[in-house]
Amino acid sequence: MLKACLSIAATSIIMVATAAQAQETIKIGLIQPLTGSVAYNGKTDVNGATLAVDARNAKGGVMGKKIDLVVEDGQCRPAESVNAAEKLIQRDKVVGLIGAFCSSATLAIMPVAQSNKIPFITGVSSAPSLTEKGNSWFFRATETDALLAKSFAGILVNQLKLKKVAYIGVNDDFGRGSVEEFEKQMTALGATTVMKEYFEHGTTDFYTLLTKLKASGADGAFVSAETQDGSTFVKQKAELGLETKVFGVGSWATADFMKLAGAAANGIYAAVPYASTMKTPKNEAFVKAYEEQYKVAPGKYSAAGYNTLHILVDAIARAGSTDPDKVREALHKTNYDGPNGHFEFDDKGQATGFTVVLVQLENGVPNVTASNTIGH
Amino acid sequence: MDLFFQLLANGLVTGTFYALSALGLTLVFGLMRVVNFAHGELYVIGGLLGWALTAVLGWNYFLTLLVVILVLGVGGYLIDQVLIARVRGQGEEPTILLTIGLSIFIANTALLIVGTTPVTVASPFASKPLFLGPVVITQARLMLVGVCAVLIGGANLLIQRTTLGRAMRATFQDTMAAQLVGIRTAHIYGLTFALGAILAGAAGMLLGSIYVVEPTIGGVISLKAFVVFILGGMGSFAGAIVGGLILGVAEALWGGYVATGYVDAIGFALVILTLLVRPYGLFSKRAERA
Repeated sequence: MLKACLSIAATSIIMVATAAQAQETIKIGLIQPLTGSVAYNGKTDVNGATLAVDARNAKGGVMGKKIDLVVEDGQCRPAESVNAAEKLIQRDKVVGLIGAFCSSATLAIMPVAQSNKIPFITGVSSAPSLTEKGNSWFFRATETDALLAKSFAGILVNQLKLKKVAYIGVNDDFGRGSVEEFEKQMTALGATTVMKEYFEHGTTDFYTLLTKLKASGADGAFVSAETQDGSTFVKQKAELGLETKVFGVGSWATADFMKLAGAAANGIYAAVPYASTMKTPKNEAFVKAYEEQYKVAPGKYSAAGYNTLHILVDAIARAGSTDPDKVREALHKTNYDGPNGHFEFDDKGQATGFTVVLVQLENGVPNVTASNTIGH
Repeated sequence: MDLFFQLLANGLVTGTFYALSALGLTLVFGLMRVVNFAHGELYVIGGLLGWALTAVLGWNYFLTLLVVILVLGVGGYLIDQVLIARVRGQGEEPTILLTIGLSIFIANTALLIVGTTPVTVASPFASKPLFLGPVVITQARLMLVGVCAVLIGGANLLIQRTTLGRAMRATFQDTMAAQLVGIRTAHIYGLTFALGAILAGAAGMLLGSIYVVEPTIGGVISLKAFVVFILGGMGSFAGAIVGGLILGVAEALWGGYVATGYVDAIGFALVILTLLVRPYGLFSKRAERA
């Protein structure tokens, strides 16, 4: 539709940003979906990043200058995200880019970042192929579907005793990618696939899909979906009285997911790179600061926004310059401790060393049942 | 066979919901010849208002529905009198641009006030499964189908049987003749748009109790409503209902037997087919206007 306009929220941030231009600042561009069906998730990423910026600025910023976060709405679409990236690079002259959320949108920005020689970090996009493109300006500070699948397929098959599995994913590269990876890993461990289906972003009615799930006789369903679609799915599954075990990837271990899904969320397993219940001192401090600011516990995208911002600012500080080449070199030497573990980048720009967890949702709390460190 | 009945039941239920969401759009077009691109956003207002009153303030569900109807009625009347009246009689393009602008304005204002978090309307109906032979449905959905039927029937009675409805039809058949017999046509335009807004808002509030509402969902709602609108014949009341049911059942059967991944394509394939075979829709009323 003709709604390619910026969200008012983003515009007002930019207006504030322009006002602050009087004194010299270091500008960082953040592209997230602020409208559309994953707008909610994009907003939590911005919240995490804003929290990190405030913390850095309170300590004097970087290189003696304040950090200025410029947020643009990429709508999770490739075309809009490229427009946002062009605008941030050409007009705002940002020194680094973060973002794009959906893998398809991130993929579209990657060549733009490369041709303009701007370091580009994603904290969300998990399609494995992104770090295989040979783009030396691109870094991924989160897990890939393949890494997550390798970490948890064994636990799902052996401990939950899943024999017949149904795979359900949102119809984009995130959903299709994670379904393929989990199917591959779990089939290798002896599980059989009884159903494989996709649905569109923003689907409101899952009865057809659930009817098929029931008829398939699956004893477990793998679902890759974000907050809105995922919560609607599990709610309608409970409405139909289906007992099939569900384990998901996406933003399942968040306070809002559990609030939206209510009692239907109980017992669901989720494989996530971050849960607010992770027991590390860094995380406890992060959760406290986040709750103070936003009155809600942080989710995986809040942590993603927070981590990527810190990683980029650390690199600028290490480089002691905003020169793109130097910042890129510094990014390769990343040695950052976040709420969910340690981050460094390999030669392809893929982060390693951080922790991923399998949680079970119970009365609004994501209980950690297993955790795994992403190896080198 | 059980699978078929379940899919058919799912399709009929969503079809009823599609019909209700499209009814306001088709009514405003059928009577006023205004294509309301802000239809989905009026739905969003209904849903968000319903959420604010039931879930945040704890009001009674039916009382809230009445308030939603009242607010959207007054709001719709004002939108027509303050905005649409200014471009009346200047062709179709200014109204289209006006309603597109209105939709962007409403969506972003809602985004500013409510934020991006999806919300649901608190419903008094149980969402536990109800087994009718081989078919499972929830009490909430069954009740909603009933309420939808009442709303659709009520709107139809209003247009066909009341003095106001006759005045509406007269105004849009021949404005000058209507004025000559003493109908205040400016007022009628406002009331017709108000009726369309009420149907959109009521749909948002009702469906907001089983699905989720968020400020930017209006585009999706409008898109589905346009499919129903073209399928059933632009402006035809019966067409909107049949169009909605056809879309619902077609999506359910395609999703059930082929693949759920491309279910949105079905609606548009049907639209293309309709435009090729019966360009005026299934229930065309080509001779309605003088």
